[in-house]
Amino acid sequence: MLARVANNLFWMGRYIERSEHIARYLSVNYFSSLDAPNEVSQSREFVLRSMLFVADEEELKEKNEFNESDILFDIGLNPEKSYSILSAIKNVQQNANGARDLISTELYESINTFNRSVKGYSAERFVKSGLFDFTTMITSSVASLRTKIRSTLLHDEVYAIIMLGIYIERANQVIRIINSKYNDALLEKVNFGGSVRTSYEWVTLLKCVETYDMMRRYYRKIPTSHTVLEFLILNPNCPRSIMNSLNSIHYYIGFLTNTENANKDSAAFLIGKLMCEYRYKTIDDFQEDLKGFIETLVDDLSLVGEKMDKDYFSLY
Amino acid sequence: MKLPIFSSYQFDSKLYDEIFNDNKEVRDVYQTLFKLFSEYSVSDFASLNDKVKDAFFNQGITFQVYGDKETKEKIFPFDLFPRIIGNDEWLKLESGALQRSKALNLFLEDLYHDQKILKQQIVPRDLIASSANYLKEMEGFNPPGGIYNHVSGTDLIKHADGEYYVLEDNIRCPSGVSYVVGNREALKRTLFGVFNSYKPHNVSDYGENLLEIIESVKPKGVDIPKCVVLTPGVYNSAYYEHSFLAKQMGVELVEGRDLFIENDFVYMKTIRGLQRIDVIYRRVDDEFIDPKVFNKDSVLGVPGLFNSYIKGKVTLVNAPGTGVADDKAIYTYMPQIIKYYLDEEPILNNVHTYHCSRPNELKFVLENVDKLVVKPVDESGGYGISIGNKLTKEEIEKVKKTIKENPRKYIAQPIMSLSTHATYIEDENSFEPRHVDLRTFTLLGKDKDFVLKGGLTRVALKRGNLVVNSSQGGGSKDTWILKK
Repeated sequence: MLARVANNLFWMGRYIERSEHIARYLSVNYFSSLDAPNEVSQSREFVLRSMLFVADEEELKEKNEFNESDILFDIGLNPEKSYSILSAIKNVQQNANGARDLISTELYESINTFNRSVKGYSAERFVKSGLFDFTTMITSSVASLRTKIRSTLLHDEVYAIIMLGIYIERANQVIRIINSKYNDALLEKVNFGGSVRTSYEWVTLLKCVETYDMMRRYYRKIPTSHTVLEFLILNPNCPRSIMNSLNSIHYYIGFLTNTENANKDSAAFLIGKLMCEYRYKTIDDFQEDLKGFIETLVDDLSLVGEKMDKDYFSLY
Repeated sequence: MKLPIFSSYQFDSKLYDEIFNDNKEVRDVYQTLFKLFSEYSVSDFASLNDKVKDAFFNQGITFQVYGDKETKEKIFPFDLFPRIIGNDEWLKLESGALQRSKALNLFLEDLYHDQKILKQQIVPRDLIASSANYLKEMEGFNPPGGIYNHVSGTDLIKHADGEYYVLEDNIRCPSGVSYVVGNREALKRTLFGVFNSYKPHNVSDYGENLLEIIESVKPKGVDIPKCVVLTPGVYNSAYYEHSFLAKQMGVELVEGRDLFIENDFVYMKTIRGLQRIDVIYRRVDDEFIDPKVFNKDSVLGVPGLFNSYIKGKVTLVNAPGTGVADDKAIYTYMPQIIKYYLDEEPILNNVHTYHCSRPNELKFVLENVDKLVVKPVDESGGYGISIGNKLTKEEIEKVKKTIKENPRKYIAQPIMSLSTHATYIEDENSFEPRHVDLRTFTLLGKDKDFVLKGGLTRVALKRGNLVVNSSQGGGSKDTWILKK
């Protein structure tokens, strides 16, 4: 496979995954806040800040005013904002276009249909009353794309590259969401009192990652910071956990490289090392310094991305 | 004629109508289709038309239009009423197109070797010497399999006399075959019942034949050739076609920046390092394929590619320098070229053509600009064409001035009466006659040739307009070649 086209496919996977996480984050946070148990969680500014934090942390730093319609528009449908869902889908389409001879007609057609639906969505309707419909359309379209990827492509290098993009982005997004909700929980405690351990924000976090029901089934207890973080970071069977993403990245990189004998400076080596390290971690290892843990993981994941770029895409 | 969608159909007795004869009766091949269409109302057609447009966008069967600020994605408008060509009529077109392609190939071989045809003054030497598309670098070179124009597109029209005439031979990078296949798919999805009553030849075998043809001209010493399609990139207006061809053949679609020359061999940059390639179906014009030899500013090609080609390390399809033979001035000599190389009479008619480079003909053209179509010899896509009877007096003077400044660059032809075909016109919500032409696709390989049993029927969507090119607002139709 051409290095340039592999790069297109990798980013196609990343943007598919990114668009869905942002859409879910908007929807879950917005609607959870409407009947949240305390004033802080109900506050518009609190919710809008949280949304912007996940969409683009840098933009949040420069923001003074928190107008709901403006922020929803920026994150959802503003073509001028590189972090908007619209821009992400446009990037999906453009990357797919650069690799259209390698992907199935069915997948390509679904991407085009998705792109046209987002481009044609009324911004006015979205910011006033269509948040639920719009974000549902995004998540179901992404689900449909994933099905097309899984069931119409050869499970070969092309597939492995797309999946690598998906899982690296998933790990990144989930850790960012954890970070955001952890901050929200702290903020809630400062303003409202109570305990970070049992904050309402942990439930929202699970819902943002669509793991609330399964987490309850697994622990059979009310979510606490301890169980939620353990489940979302270390449980290998939770499809959106960090551990599951690391395992998947390791698996798909194995398609491209012999991970047993991987060069010490390669992405394959690094991901193998990270995976082993996390496999033997416990929640107590990082609960004391969650912030430090998150920063390290974000750095490690971006290093994997950089090394992948060097190993597979940099020839072009 | 009782169909509501034909209620406002206007006949022009001076033109050949593809569907109706002079007595306004439906021609035989269209009878069944016409009956089937009687089941549709005006609104049925409008909604089918919308569906088809959506399908083209969703399938990404689009081309790019360059605007001042942004590039827009557009679909090539598709008409639901297919064009039908009977088997006997087709056989003549098929053999005629093949005859022209073979003759052009021999002509190119001669031009780049002994130039016998010039020495015998059958084709004037001046025409070749002054052609911007003649490549001295190709002199004495023998392309693998002896083939220059592996892929040819022949543009035909049907005149008021009911006969086909060739308008142009395209042997550089002829486009449009992806729309032939796309149009058929769209029509099958939309009017699926119709195919129970008609059995046109399949058009989806183009890709496999193209692959066979390009593999047949692999460089010497190569066992299983690695073939690729070279595109200028996603922003090229024909990118859809390039990706379609790569996909149909199951080969990589590469850009110049993906390729690299080492020890005269061509390699592509893959995730596993460099991989050698043997045959390039290049959809990049001569001028841009190698900045070391041709346009120095080109970033679309590969430095050193031409040298690699000349050394026989890679095959380019079509060969560089074929443009000298699809120059519109050379077109005039096609009957002589066919006779000279094949010792056959031309199967297809040429349109009478005046060369502005010949003083007598120049005089005639300048005196009759209002009755002629004036075309530059080296443009494509319908650019630079003047149709005399549509011009104002000032425009006529302007055309004359342009011709006088560079007579070699222009030819003129009588204004041909392109046949008309019923076409659904969105704004009118009805069928109206519109001018059509036909492009056929011919492949030449080592010991193998192929003509696609179908073609691209292009439609001039504006009333009375004769220019059918997509870049000039044209549309297209599915084209059925009926089985015997």
